[in-house]
Amino acid sequence: MKKLRITVDGKTYDVAVEVLEAAAPAATASTPARSAAAFAPIAVPGARSAPPPAAGANTITSPLAGKVVSIDVAVGDAVKSGDQVATIEAMKMNTFIYAEIDGSVDQVVAAAGDMVEEGGVLIKLD
Amino acid sequence: MTIDPALLKRLVTARKTAELGGGEDKIAKRHERGLLTARERLNKLFEPGTFMEFGKHAQHDSTQFGMAGKLMPGDGVVTGVGYIDGRPVAAFSQDFTVGGGALGRIHAKKMCDLMEYASQAGMPVLGINDSGGARIQEGEESLSGYGQVFFKNVLLSGVVPQVSIIAGPCAGGAAYSPALTDFIIMNRKNAQMFICGPEVIKASTGQVTTMEEIGSAETHAAISGNVHFVAEDEEHAIEIAHKLFSFLPSNNVSDPPHEPVENLVLDLDPGMNDLMPQDPKAPLDVKKIIYRLVDDADFLEVHEHFAKNIVVGFCRIQGLVTGIVANQPCVKAGTLDIDASDKAARFIRFCNIFNIPLLTLVDVPGFLPGVAQERGGIIRHGAKMLFAYAASTVPKITVIMRKAYGGAYLAMCSSDMGADMVFAWPTAEIAVMGADGAVKILYKREIAAAEDPEKAAAEFSAEYREKFASPYAAAAKAMITDIIEPAQTRGIVAMALRNTLSKRETRPPKKHGNIPL
Repeated sequence: MKKLRITVDGKTYDVAVEVLEAAAPAATASTPARSAAAFAPIAVPGARSAPPPAAGANTITSPLAGKVVSIDVAVGDAVKSGDQVATIEAMKMNTFIYAEIDGSVDQVVAAAGDMVEEGGVLIKLD
Repeated sequence: MTIDPALLKRLVTARKTAELGGGEDKIAKRHERGLLTARERLNKLFEPGTFMEFGKHAQHDSTQFGMAGKLMPGDGVVTGVGYIDGRPVAAFSQDFTVGGGALGRIHAKKMCDLMEYASQAGMPVLGINDSGGARIQEGEESLSGYGQVFFKNVLLSGVVPQVSIIAGPCAGGAAYSPALTDFIIMNRKNAQMFICGPEVIKASTGQVTTMEEIGSAETHAAISGNVHFVAEDEEHAIEIAHKLFSFLPSNNVSDPPHEPVENLVLDLDPGMNDLMPQDPKAPLDVKKIIYRLVDDADFLEVHEHFAKNIVVGFCRIQGLVTGIVANQPCVKAGTLDIDASDKAARFIRFCNIFNIPLLTLVDVPGFLPGVAQERGGIIRHGAKMLFAYAASTVPKITVIMRKAYGGAYLAMCSSDMGADMVFAWPTAEIAVMGADGAVKILYKREIAAAEDPEKAAAEFSAEYREKFASPYAAAAKAMITDIIEPAQTRGIVAMALRNTLSKRETRPPKKHGNIPL
């Protein structure tokens, strides 16, 4: 219980406030985040192309919660689809983050050492 | 004495009518749009001259809503048996030129009769779906037709492989027949699959969406996981089906088409050692490992775009057909999450049904932590992997490449879950949890009491890592078969598969287990 004093229209009230745990977060769909296909072509007979990047691919996000190890680009840098732009450490493992489209870096949102959530924005391209 | 020529002439005419389906105009229109007809698709699927048609002269018997006397050649579906790679396969191909490929009573009967035949003859079924849905003029009879098709799909499940190609619209109830089959190949163009389309969604919920967002091959391959393979065009879909069948037995009492090499090659592959980064935090691209491990770098990846943190697919290793399940540390650190568990569990069960040995490649730091995972039921979904592996009686070979932590390690077919052989690379770390987390529990008091708690924790971590960050502790307890260098893996795995191929395991009889769905 916390005691607070509130003044409304010149009148003072003493109130006791109970601080509850943060409200349960809303259920989130486990939509897998896209990450750039940086692999050798697959032996599906005549596999021809990777799926085109998702809408909003100019916002580069973290595929899982973790710590930013490095942001490998700076504002103004030109990046090509498939370039490594950041590294996240999570689950004792480094995860490299790649650009999904060509563009130039408009904004670097996260910095080395930051904790990011799954889906947290790292970099914005223009 | 000879047969009356008029009778033969009538037969020729009847055949021609059936083969023209909806007629030359509609066929020409399809060709203009770059689409193949139902028959052209089957011609590409089967070796030339091998197709034997069932029910060519079938017709609908509906009289309502202007249907009386209306010609519906084959009742909108072509069914029969042909050969792929010298083995018979049953196939149906819905004919969009005949009443939009809509499903009526006779159409459904042809599909069901074909499936019944395939089940008894022990051959796979391939369905090419291209249909506007139920034939509304036939009312509840067409609905009942779907019900019968679903029922047959379920009867055949686990008896013969069932593969679906989505080559056109596949909406509402129609989508559930492919969903009941083992694999779905979907064309990127001209194909949609959904239960409620954008208009229905808007009318009932107000949500605005597009067909691309809910019903495209890309969505189903990457997001929903309904589709296993995406085909760039019609020919590509057929190529994928051919490739897939090349790994599958015709039925559940046959072995897959192994092509064992005469002499096993046990030579070292030094390139495999080079793939292992020295930094344990550096991600390992498991696909590179897989391509070196399999014959001719020939790996048919299933669900390539879905839950990429786990890789599953078919290959041959020194000629033996094998299903591979591998963590992919490049994606989400190789953790197991809800989608990865679903993907792997279904693949494991498919391999078990059709006598395909399983090779599991382990580099797993754990289950993915997160509120969405816990609330989404990672316990229920992760349990599917445990269940699927433990319930499988095919040869199970496991290679621990690096991390094998906690419950996720058990879910990757440890010896306790029935692996016949477990090999570990010298880089393997087998532990109940990571060092930093473990010492916080094991040495909680000591760390708190230390002058420099951080330093103390680091020292305890190093000690713990020394003990568990190598496979020797597990090997000393006889939990693994052997410690091998990566370069030996192809030879050793091939030998392990060869030695275990005659495995027979009897389980207590039951209707079926209760996998947590």
